[in-house]
Amino acid sequence: MFKSHFDIRSQPGFGLITLFTFFALYLPIAALVIYSFNGAESLSRWDGFSARWFVAAWQNAAVQDAAIRSLVIAIWAAFLATIAATMAALATTRTTPYRGLTFKYALINQPLMVPEIVTAVALLIVFSRIKVWTGYSGLGYLVVAHTAFCIPFAYLPIRARLESMDLTLERAAADLYATRWQTFRHVTLPLLRPAVIAGFMLAFVISLDDVVITEFVKSGGQDTLPTYMLGQLRRETTPEINAIATVFLALSTALVVVFFFINRKKQ
Amino acid sequence: MSGAQEAALAVQKQDIRSRWLLSAPALLIIFFAAVGPLLVMLLYSFMAKGDYGDVRFGEFSLDGWVSVFFQRDIFDDTLGLADAHLSIIWRSLQLSFFTTLLTLILGFPTAYFIATRPPHSREIWVFLVTIPFWTNLLIRTFAMQQVIRNEGLLNNALIWLGVIERPLQIMYTDTANLLGMTYVYLPLMVLPLYASIEKLDFRLVEAGYDLYASRLQVLRRIVIPLVKPGIIAGSILVFIPSLGAYVIPRVLGGGKNMMLGNLIEMQFGSGRNWPLGAAMSITLMALVMVALIFYVRNASRGGSSHV
Amino acid sequence: MTETRTTAAHGGAIGMHGIKKWFGNFQAVDDVTLDIRSNEFFTLLGPSGCGKTTLLRMIAGFELPTEGQVLLDGVDISSLLPNQRPVNTVFQNYALFPHLTVAENIGFGLKMLGKPRSEIDSVVKDMLKLVHLEGRGGNPVTQLSGGQQQRVALARALAPRPKVLLLDEPLSALDLKLRKSMQMELKRLQTETGITFVFVTHDQEEALTMSDRIAVMSTGTVRQVGSPWDIYDRPAERFVADFIGETNFLEAEVVAVSGDRARVRLSSGAEIPATFPADVTPGGKVTVVIRPEHAQVGTPSPASVLRGIIREIVYLGTDTHFHIRLEDGTTFTVRQQNARSGSCGFSKDDAVGISLSDDVAQILRD
Repeated sequence: MFKSHFDIRSQPGFGLITLFTFFALYLPIAALVIYSFNGAESLSRWDGFSARWFVAAWQNAAVQDAAIRSLVIAIWAAFLATIAATMAALATTRTTPYRGLTFKYALINQPLMVPEIVTAVALLIVFSRIKVWTGYSGLGYLVVAHTAFCIPFAYLPIRARLESMDLTLERAAADLYATRWQTFRHVTLPLLRPAVIAGFMLAFVISLDDVVITEFVKSGGQDTLPTYMLGQLRRETTPEINAIATVFLALSTALVVVFFFINRKKQ
Repeated sequence: MSGAQEAALAVQKQDIRSRWLLSAPALLIIFFAAVGPLLVMLLYSFMAKGDYGDVRFGEFSLDGWVSVFFQRDIFDDTLGLADAHLSIIWRSLQLSFFTTLLTLILGFPTAYFIATRPPHSREIWVFLVTIPFWTNLLIRTFAMQQVIRNEGLLNNALIWLGVIERPLQIMYTDTANLLGMTYVYLPLMVLPLYASIEKLDFRLVEAGYDLYASRLQVLRRIVIPLVKPGIIAGSILVFIPSLGAYVIPRVLGGGKNMMLGNLIEMQFGSGRNWPLGAAMSITLMALVMVALIFYVRNASRGGSSHV
Repeated sequence: MTETRTTAAHGGAIGMHGIKKWFGNFQAVDDVTLDIRSNEFFTLLGPSGCGKTTLLRMIAGFELPTEGQVLLDGVDISSLLPNQRPVNTVFQNYALFPHLTVAENIGFGLKMLGKPRSEIDSVVKDMLKLVHLEGRGGNPVTQLSGGQQQRVALARALAPRPKVLLLDEPLSALDLKLRKSMQMELKRLQTETGITFVFVTHDQEEALTMSDRIAVMSTGTVRQVGSPWDIYDRPAERFVADFIGETNFLEAEVVAVSGDRARVRLSSGAEIPATFPADVTPGGKVTVVIRPEHAQVGTPSPASVLRGIIREIVYLGTDTHFHIRLEDGTTFTVRQQNARSGSCGFSKDDAVGISLSDDVAQILRD
């Protein structure tokens, strides 16, 4: 095409590399999805288009179990993490620095700084002992562990929203006779709602995706969907894994899309 | 001191107290299920190992730390360097470095290209980077496996094209680890790079061209120095999880191409040497801290240089 | 219940006694004592950073004074929280709640006070009428124009019938034309409601147009308090004279003093009468101010108080500015109305004489 002006922004070859990047990002995912519709017994050959592995996965009791467990943990962890993160965000924003503020930041963001495998084995050490002491080995450990690493993710959008929020709105409320609680209830919270929802969804996805920490914290028979898949990957895999992965993929993509639109509406 | 001032102080005091109360749940949960266990692990690294895993509680020993780097000869009981451990640590560092480099080579042009699109399509491109980013890491690793395994997409395509006759063995090699990590961590490079390039003031680029710079010179002398904070942020975001990678080498690298993460797991599994595993974990954390300190230093310098 | 909404209610009187405010090491307000009368339109005028907004925020309760007292109708309210003060604010950026409708915004204060639904509804209706927004109650505030948002902000602050209404540069975001009509509107609302208005602005014209009294502030202190006429025509000190309008400053020597008048001798040798704010003694060196519109340009004559050469003529449509270089080297500006069309009759480098209207010179406090 004829160029009517000198484009100062363009750099030669960058478009091609970008194309390659996106090709590389999506090709493996596409392959995975396509193979989930494979009618064959094994991934080694293609035997016509079929949904049989989706049916197989759906009827697999272990998969059902793991999926439900994943959802239960993710909902609890996201719920708890969002409440804790909202409170923490309110406590750490819109203030002149006070003693302990940096400490709070560091602690809240700590799970982001440490490699998962390190946290995972540390939790293994502590929780295995607690399990022996208390005799309790339920889902509680997983929920608590997930809540902890979900907090910084839920905290992120809530804090950002609070920091960009116009302080004069709350001042205006106070000026109009609202008590602190009324101000929070009628002004701060409604304005914060999109960020709280975003935080919840982030936490939910993060919890749903976790493999490493779950793998080390879970007791016997507490597989989540990701740890179940990890276990299956050791063996010769059938397209059933692809089918599970495809459903998983569709779910998290749907969440990201919703998240994207919530964020866009806000702006 | 006036009454108003006393009131102001009281308000401030109460404010700080309620701020501590508000943050207490988050702090307690993180302390209980993240920071606290790390401290316990630090203690464990200084204890004697139990026979069937765990530790002999309260029995002090430096064996865990010593065996991170040295091994005792079975026959004459002398200490030699623990080659196996050191080579795995070295491999982890190397692989992480090359992963960072590869993601940078692909990620920078991509981020730059996206940032120079019109605002509306920019959003869509970024969205397209975000989707793989939020896709389960295990699933992406598994997807990569489907591409590079012997009967996978890549080998089939190459055979079909006549480039090779027999499939290349990529799975269970360092190349598999490298490809997997590059694939999985690429969005972590693109997003911060994009954020900083998007903020770039293109009038400076214009000024560069006005002062006789070529495209390459503009890139090298103006764009890259200005987006350096983004480059560093992206590199750190890729380097740190690469160093602690566990799932990717487990699925793609197999037993022979372990990384530090797998070595740590081994100590808590078949190795039954918790103090060693704990010491290794702390070693890994220390490596991460070094990278972070490097980041903080450079980011603060890079940030202030062109304000 | 209706009596809470009747017009000409009692507006509160504000007393500020020995107010000092420190922000860390920065002193924003330095020993201000002010009395704002009931029912008046009072303006705090000054450049940005002079402490006027800080004073306003101390009346509202957003800042507490480091020292001193804020009184409302003689009662110390210094340490009350903002929501405990019968004082409402119109914020600079309006601070309308974006998640609420126009009516919900206006009714917010009454709702917080726990007023019954029916009362809130009827007050909101009255308020919408008062600010000419009938029928817009259900609209989201985000869809209103700047001027309409301004009206909603006013209605919201007036709805709870505060004793004092505080206005923090509320017109600064509007364009010139809208600003002019809102000035009239504000004045009308103040007269109709009888509420004391405390208005903060850096715009001298705004202050002169609307206020009953003005306090001119600079660097945390009040420089002069008075009617618009006092402030403009009888500035007490250099800062006030310089900040409000254009002014000529002339060095002079006091020749004689009698009553509240003095005679001063200008550098040209001419003697003119001048008013003065504080003690002056014959023989003292003083600065006098003369507004450009109080002087006339003419051909040199015995009536000319000053003489000089025209350096520049600036035509401004309604009037013409002459920048004249006086014999002693200082520059003097004369503003003359363009009473008729056509040339002013002078050109650059003409030698001219300047005559003064009666009683226009004012001696400044040192």
